Amino acid sequence: MSVYERPLPETTPWSAPFWAAAKEHRLVFQHCASCQANVLYPKLFCPNCHGSDLQWMDASGQGEVYTFSVIYQHPPSPFRDSLPYVVAVVQLDEGVQLMTNVVGCEPEDVKCGMKVVAEFDDVTDEFTLVKFRPA
Amino acid sequence: MNKSHRGEAAIVGIGEVPSGVYPDRPCLQSALQSAHDAIEDSGLPYDEIDAVIPAGTFYDPWYNTNMIFSQLVEELGLTGKTKMNLQVVAGGASSAALMATAAGLIATGAARSVLCVHAEKWGSMPNQDMYDKLATFGISPEWEAPYGLNMNAVSALITQRYAFETGTTEEQLASVCVALRKWAELNPNAMYQKPLALEDVLRSKLVASPLHAFECNRLADGGSAFIVTSAERAKSLDTVPVYLLGSGSVVTHYAISQETNMSRFGYARAAEEAFGVAGLGPRDMDIAEIYDSYPVFNLIALEEMGFCKRGEAGQFVLDGHTWPGGSLPMTTNGGMLSQGHTGTGGGIAVLVEAARQLMGKAGKRQVEGARFCVETATGGTYMDAHVSVFGTEVP
Repeated sequence: MSVYERPLPETTPWSAPFWAAAKEHRLVFQHCASCQANVLYPKLFCPNCHGSDLQWMDASGQGEVYTFSVIYQHPPSPFRDSLPYVVAVVQLDEGVQLMTNVVGCEPEDVKCGMKVVAEFDDVTDEFTLVKFRPA
Repeated sequence: MNKSHRGEAAIVGIGEVPSGVYPDRPCLQSALQSAHDAIEDSGLPYDEIDAVIPAGTFYDPWYNTNMIFSQLVEELGLTGKTKMNLQVVAGGASSAALMATAAGLIATGAARSVLCVHAEKWGSMPNQDMYDKLATFGISPEWEAPYGLNMNAVSALITQRYAFETGTTEEQLASVCVALRKWAELNPNAMYQKPLALEDVLRSKLVASPLHAFECNRLADGGSAFIVTSAERAKSLDTVPVYLLGSGSVVTHYAISQETNMSRFGYARAAEEAFGVAGLGPRDMDIAEIYDSYPVFNLIALEEMGFCKRGEAGQFVLDGHTWPGGSLPMTTNGGMLSQGHTGTGGGIAVLVEAARQLMGKAGKRQVEGARFCVETATGGTYMDAHVSVFGTEVP
């Protein structure tokens, strides 16, 4: 396997369970036991009720493309050899949103509202990135 | 902003150097020239400049720490006079942050008059260095950078969603660039002053769909400054005071992936607050100095502030209503899309233009008889919405 030269996530102590789950090909999010809010990306405190009773739950992995862009020019240096690629914000069925790449289809075929499903990209021994493909 | 402070602070002087690529012009020179011109323009004695606020600069951390550590105070001959030098920075929204800070310092009596100044030199930086730098600004190193996000992509995501929800067309979006260029043709400080046709925009390369190259701002070297003083002091100066009549704002996100209302943001709430404090509405405005950077933000701001109905701003701009001579002059310096994007200074240039127009100093692009102007700002990945209302009188 060639050396992976793109940016890897700079993690925090409270996000570690997310990355550990991703490595096991599970997409997880936080659920606030106090106010029932769903939270992603992981937070130290609940952004809704400001409490700290956040628990980890498995997501269905289903969602839809909230918005996207196909990058054709002027990407960050480590992405120059992968043009064109799709960056997208996906809204999970659980209501939370995350930044991702849509893969597994022609970039031009991606649409807002398109149903997608999580896919796990083991980019290094340590990190697995959560990406999405058409459902 | 509290209603009791309506019209209490006023901009009384402005300064600016041309934007563009000026590798031989030191950033310090841009800052000093802008600051000096602004003080001279105000007619205030130097010993009344109690506070100097240099907004943050990104191209060189050493230059920026010099700004934090009073270099401008020394170079402008203000040592022993100025009581405080402090940096204020909110990215593109620094204009609003500077204005709020200056007005607050004046309201509490901490300062009689305040110099707000910014200069940037990232137009002279190598392109790829800037592409890489702009892949870090406001972008989460944990949740976004691994996916190849950068600033063009952030704006592309917003534009895509806005177009999806409102049905705004490619032509309508591109028409914002054309409208801004019409103004820049009349602006000697603008980076781009040659006419731009709709076809030029639409035929330029796709950079990050749906954004074409001409819909992405060009980074520039530049500098601008303004002086804020009390309304009382302003009245005794030989200048047209530009009163801050109202302001409103809200922060909506840090990471763009967390924004759930990408076709609206916080402009409606900010405008309601600003117009409410001012006791004025969109119909009273002679000019809308809207923070652009990419075309979609002009359209969102026009709709959310109440100038156009939802989904109709694109056609409004395409029809030429925001051009010179139109019913609603908009972003009359040409904005970051034509005057050039000086980073933190992009919004400051828009604010300075608002003051310039109301002072009657806008030369060939002067909007005759302009009394009231609304101005917007936003920073980072469009993390916040700031709306301010300015006027030549306190109605």
